[in-house]
Amino acid sequence: MKRAAQRVHESEDEKLLIEQAQSGDREAFEQLVRRHDRDILRLAFHMLGNREEAREVFQETFLKAYRSLDRFRFESSFYTWIYRIATNVSLDHLRKRQTLREEISYESDTELHPDRPALKDTLAATTYYSNPERRLYGKEVGEKIHEALKTLSEKERLVFELRHYQGLRLKMIGEIMGSTEETAKNYLFRATQKLRAYLTNV
Amino acid sequence: MNCRDYQHQITLLLYEELAEQARPGLEAHLRECAACQGVYEAETNVHSVLSEDTAGWDIPSDLLIESRRSLADALDRVEQKRSRWRLPALSGILTPMRLLESSALVAMGLALGVYVGNQQPQVSTSAVQDNQISTIPRNGSISNLRIVSADPATGQVELAGEVSQPLRLQGQMEDATVRSLLFSALHDASNPGSRLRAVQVLASKPNDEPIEEALINALIYDDNAGVRMQALEALKQYANEQHVRAAFMHTLGNDDNAGIRVQAIEALTIKNSNDTELAKTIREVTEKDDNSFIRAKGLQFVETAK
Repeated sequence: MKRAAQRVHESEDEKLLIEQAQSGDREAFEQLVRRHDRDILRLAFHMLGNREEAREVFQETFLKAYRSLDRFRFESSFYTWIYRIATNVSLDHLRKRQTLREEISYESDTELHPDRPALKDTLAATTYYSNPERRLYGKEVGEKIHEALKTLSEKERLVFELRHYQGLRLKMIGEIMGSTEETAKNYLFRATQKLRAYLTNV
Repeated sequence: MNCRDYQHQITLLLYEELAEQARPGLEAHLRECAACQGVYEAETNVHSVLSEDTAGWDIPSDLLIESRRSLADALDRVEQKRSRWRLPALSGILTPMRLLESSALVAMGLALGVYVGNQQPQVSTSAVQDNQISTIPRNGSISNLRIVSADPATGQVELAGEVSQPLRLQGQMEDATVRSLLFSALHDASNPGSRLRAVQVLASKPNDEPIEEALINALIYDDNAGVRMQALEALKQYANEQHVRAAFMHTLGNDDNAGIRVQAIEALTIKNSNDTELAKTIREVTEKDDNSFIRAKGLQFVETAK
């Protein structure tokens, strides 16, 4: 969390790296990637909940950054800029997944093939809760939290993820969302209300 | 302000986002309003459940390595596409100097092709007559080739680059060159498979201090969890030595891979099941661990050592 806060203050060193990367220096770009890639992967892994999609989001984020770096004008910090790309890519993936789910009728699939595990269970099993470390932590509580997080809207989920798990300040979250701190506060409030309703008895 | 506004502030308070001047007002309201006090308690409880859960959410270290690698491959592909796209554009802006450079490059390429293709070393062209090209190994490959200078008046061109050639040698592990290459393999950043194999090979030679040091370095600093795990396994044979035990303890307290931390406990306790002092230290380190299994293992050892 502290590390995340420290990165808010973009150093001169980073500015130089960005300029070098903008002039085509691949090594400078890779150094920029190394400064932020762990945070971006953590965000993707939490938002998407499985390795494959997290890796795709990670790659898509930095490729987009690489391709559009020459349009970066230092109007925000690089950290905010890269997070904005990552959150948009993550939300796109969540939307695609939602569309896919809507196209598939779980019930009819189960009715046609009663011997197969329900597709929704298979999808759920690919999340980070299938990670052995998660199971060790406390399967019951973990699953309850997972269920509670699913009750949040995309934006509520995003703001909650960025504030609670990534440790970003609401002001920055507002900037990442292309919105304001007040909007971020409202999403956080709604998210915590829903989570409280779901988790009060845990 | 109504209760909903205060409940909004409760959320901000728990996330340390509430303005300092708003705090006394909220505290006063909580003292008077049982409903909001109830919300505050419920929300504090949920917040602490969620905060405890944060600890187990770190990313698997192999996922980071895997993601970095696939990103590097993807960037390579983008660059290749870019360079293919840019080549034709150069033809329209060739200056006489660029023309000379291009000719020299073509001549150089032809000459190198001749050499690399196992032709006679004396085969040459006028463009490279006085060059050092004969020093290039017959089966070497050239990279990062660049033109240092090119004089259109004399036709003299200076090029620089790097030459590498395949290597294969056999020898005893005591041999200085073999050892040096094995240690190099252990530091080959681009190839974790090679590092893993180097650990396995080096571990087969017992009671060798530099090897022991190299294995400790691999355990503590290698990016790849597989390599670290292999190094830890190899170091178990030295588990009685003070500095090796210190390395295990460092791993137990710092490695981001829970599997390796579990192995570190086992390595520390394997020959010291009754050491109460060690049990105390392990307890101190493991009770802060995010992973409940590690905490349980720490406690288990403390109980056994009693």
